[in-house]
Amino acid sequence: MGRFVLRRLLQALPLLVAISAVSFTILKLTPGGPLAAYEGNPLFTDEDRARLEHAFGLDQPIPLQYLSWLGQFVRGDWGYSFASHQPVLSLIGERLPNTIYLMGTVFVTVLLLAIPIGVVAAVKQYSWFDHLVTGSTFAFLSTPTFWLGLLLIILFGLQLRLLPIGGIDTPGQPFNIFDRLRHLVLPVATIALVQLGSHVRYLRASMLETITQDYMRTARSKGLGERVVVLRHALKNAAIPLVTVVALDVPELFAGALVTEQIFGWPGMGRLFWDAATRFDYPVLMGILTVSSGLIVLANLLADVVYGYLDPRIRFG
Amino acid sequence: MRGSFIALAVATLVVTACGQTPGGSAASNPPSASDMPVRGGTAVIAIWQEPSTLAPVYANQTVSDIVNYGVLEGLAETTNAGEYVPTLAKSVPTVANGGVTVTGDKMDVKWELQSGLKWSDGQPVTSADVKYTWEIYLKDPKVNTRTGFDQIASIDTPNDTTAVVHYKTIYAPYPLNFYQLMPKHLLENEADISKSDYNRKPMGTGPFKITDFKAGDSITLEKNSNYRLAPEKPYLDKVIFRSVPSVEVAMAQLKAGEANAVWNLTAAQSVDLDKITGLVNQVVPGPSVERIEMNTAQNKEFTDPNSVNPVLGDIEMRRALLYATPKQQIIDKLFFGKAQVGSSPVSQGWAAFKGPQEGYDPRKANDTLDKAGWVKGPDGIRAKNGARASLSYTTTTGDATREKVQQVLLDEWKAIGVEVKIQNQPSSVLLSGSCTSKDPRKLGSFDLVQFSSAPGIDPHSTVLPRYHSKNIPTQANCAGQNYTRIKNPEIDAAIDAAGATLDQEKRKQSYATALKLLNDAYVIIWLYDRADIDARQDALKGWEPNAWQRFTWNIESWWLKK
Repeated sequence: MGRFVLRRLLQALPLLVAISAVSFTILKLTPGGPLAAYEGNPLFTDEDRARLEHAFGLDQPIPLQYLSWLGQFVRGDWGYSFASHQPVLSLIGERLPNTIYLMGTVFVTVLLLAIPIGVVAAVKQYSWFDHLVTGSTFAFLSTPTFWLGLLLIILFGLQLRLLPIGGIDTPGQPFNIFDRLRHLVLPVATIALVQLGSHVRYLRASMLETITQDYMRTARSKGLGERVVVLRHALKNAAIPLVTVVALDVPELFAGALVTEQIFGWPGMGRLFWDAATRFDYPVLMGILTVSSGLIVLANLLADVVYGYLDPRIRFG
Repeated sequence: MRGSFIALAVATLVVTACGQTPGGSAASNPPSASDMPVRGGTAVIAIWQEPSTLAPVYANQTVSDIVNYGVLEGLAETTNAGEYVPTLAKSVPTVANGGVTVTGDKMDVKWELQSGLKWSDGQPVTSADVKYTWEIYLKDPKVNTRTGFDQIASIDTPNDTTAVVHYKTIYAPYPLNFYQLMPKHLLENEADISKSDYNRKPMGTGPFKITDFKAGDSITLEKNSNYRLAPEKPYLDKVIFRSVPSVEVAMAQLKAGEANAVWNLTAAQSVDLDKITGLVNQVVPGPSVERIEMNTAQNKEFTDPNSVNPVLGDIEMRRALLYATPKQQIIDKLFFGKAQVGSSPVSQGWAAFKGPQEGYDPRKANDTLDKAGWVKGPDGIRAKNGARASLSYTTTTGDATREKVQQVLLDEWKAIGVEVKIQNQPSSVLLSGSCTSKDPRKLGSFDLVQFSSAPGIDPHSTVLPRYHSKNIPTQANCAGQNYTRIKNPEIDAAIDAAGATLDQEKRKQSYATALKLLNDAYVIIWLYDRADIDARQDALKGWEPNAWQRFTWNIESWWLKK
């Protein structure tokens, strides 16, 4: 087990370097650049542009720029934002808690709701509850978040005036947990409804497959209660596909929700990435992309480890 | 409600017309009792872009200025009429008042600071701060622009309130060279200002000081008790700039009462707000002009400025395109009348040139092309000497207003036998101003390009880089913004003459000569002067227009009606 994890981690290293090289190249080949932002300044001259290109290292060949970025990155220096001149690490540091607040709430909410709903819908297949669940999850799954988010804003923010339409706190007031929760409701609902759709459907489908298996009948004929049969025998086996889906939610705890954070003005990682992308702020983009890809690799590893726990037949070779 | 707004608007206009006191905007008419400023309160301003830095040395976003007008001040600033007035200085030095002495092709400017000025931390403002501001711009390699500062040879500080700036050249925009002063005592020991607190919370002498900067969320300004107009001003206790992700969200927050004001709307968006009681649009004619520049050289990368564009090289073709451009119709339909027909790049200020460009007359356009030998082919498109009248037309992608302008012109020009192909590019490319980022204007790889860029307050920084033949970008030297590649010795001479004197009347005449010649060459269609539109709640009072500054320029005079 320990060796398996170690080997997988070592395999991940060249993969991550390759990902970062490809990302860097794609970013650099995208036409445009960070100095476009200065165009609005009538005093900005071509000498100024040449000086800044040199100061940011943009006058170097792309492979050299990449190597110098990589060299600094592995030594823990993630560089400085071209736009704000702040260290990339501190920019991420101030946004990350907000994203974890948002995505963590989503993560927990979705899991707490998806498991019971998925199980009940499968056990009571073709009941009115099952029809309601399959119908509504399909609808939410097909709903784009940007549309759902705006709809919720119009309904609860502008029409009913029940909830704030954006931001993380009411500006100008000291931190208050109830105020924060009020600001969380709409963005969490927007992401959770869509995610819930997919998670419930995965779980329902694999539960349906499991409860028709022979060992379910065996368990029942042993005289086990229905509760134990469903939760211990069926759910544990049916959860494997869900684990993969949930594991891939983990990197989102870091990367945030691009669209939803944008709509609700949530000061998280998604907006940091968005702003950096529109400004061609390469050091910030590279920092976020590299950590995100690292987390995806780790999340996959985590999923594999959890498989082994859920189903001892899966061995770590 | 509506009626009271109109009354207020009229009152505002009267107040504005009555002139301004130096550096401020104190009303000279006593307002009626119900409009007497009330002290206290917090104003929330929704901004749909976030300042990445507020340090004046690095900032390159309009929105940084929006915040900084509440915090930073300099020696002088600009009135709505484009005149220079002192802010921290006693007066604006000129040749007439003896503050400026010209010797040959150099000049000295003597600034006298007002007495008793303090930074928001209570430390005195001295002439050493003036000198330090200059030094930091030359020392730090990451500063946004050195324009102006690179013309200074040295600065003498004979005493705490006097700074004598020695310029290497005749530098006409000197009054605004120091329009954001930096505190020496705070920064002199910082190895790198970008890594200090100053980067996000610059300290100034303005009505407010920045007390909180929450990235992606909000910037909080609180009353500066050391402000030179304290305790009279500012009226507000606090101003919060709330960062929102888009104009739509900003408008929604204004409608929901979560914000008191919103920065930067398009005309179409402002029409939406016009219908709502209790909200007011502030429309200020801006100095930027939206225009279509025509490439007189061949449309290809690193074009030879001496080559001739097979279609646009013909002045009659350029003239016909102008005749077939319905500027007023575009303004009425797309801007709901909230813009002005353009006629020159210097539309505001003391050097404003309003010599009109010829109007819309499609028949004249057809006649012009017929006479010039452009013959219509079977597909309705004209040709001459084997050159088909087919042009590419580039503007920024994703800009709904510009795309609508393109649709109008596509039809209009097709009607006179000129085919146009839309080839839009992202603003990060089209406006990159960089050959390596493939800006087609720099490379010369365009026929028609539509954009706008803000002019400098001094007309020289607009006219010289854009229309002098020495400023045509080439492969060898990518510098310059003469994108039409116009080469006219008379224009060059007029621009050079304007740059060689400080006599405002002579300069004005020289610019007028150059801009008249530019219009006679038909290389640029001036579409419309862009208006700056911001919106606020009717209850937020004290706002005044200023074409040269941003809408927060007189924030010390804002107050909230209860």
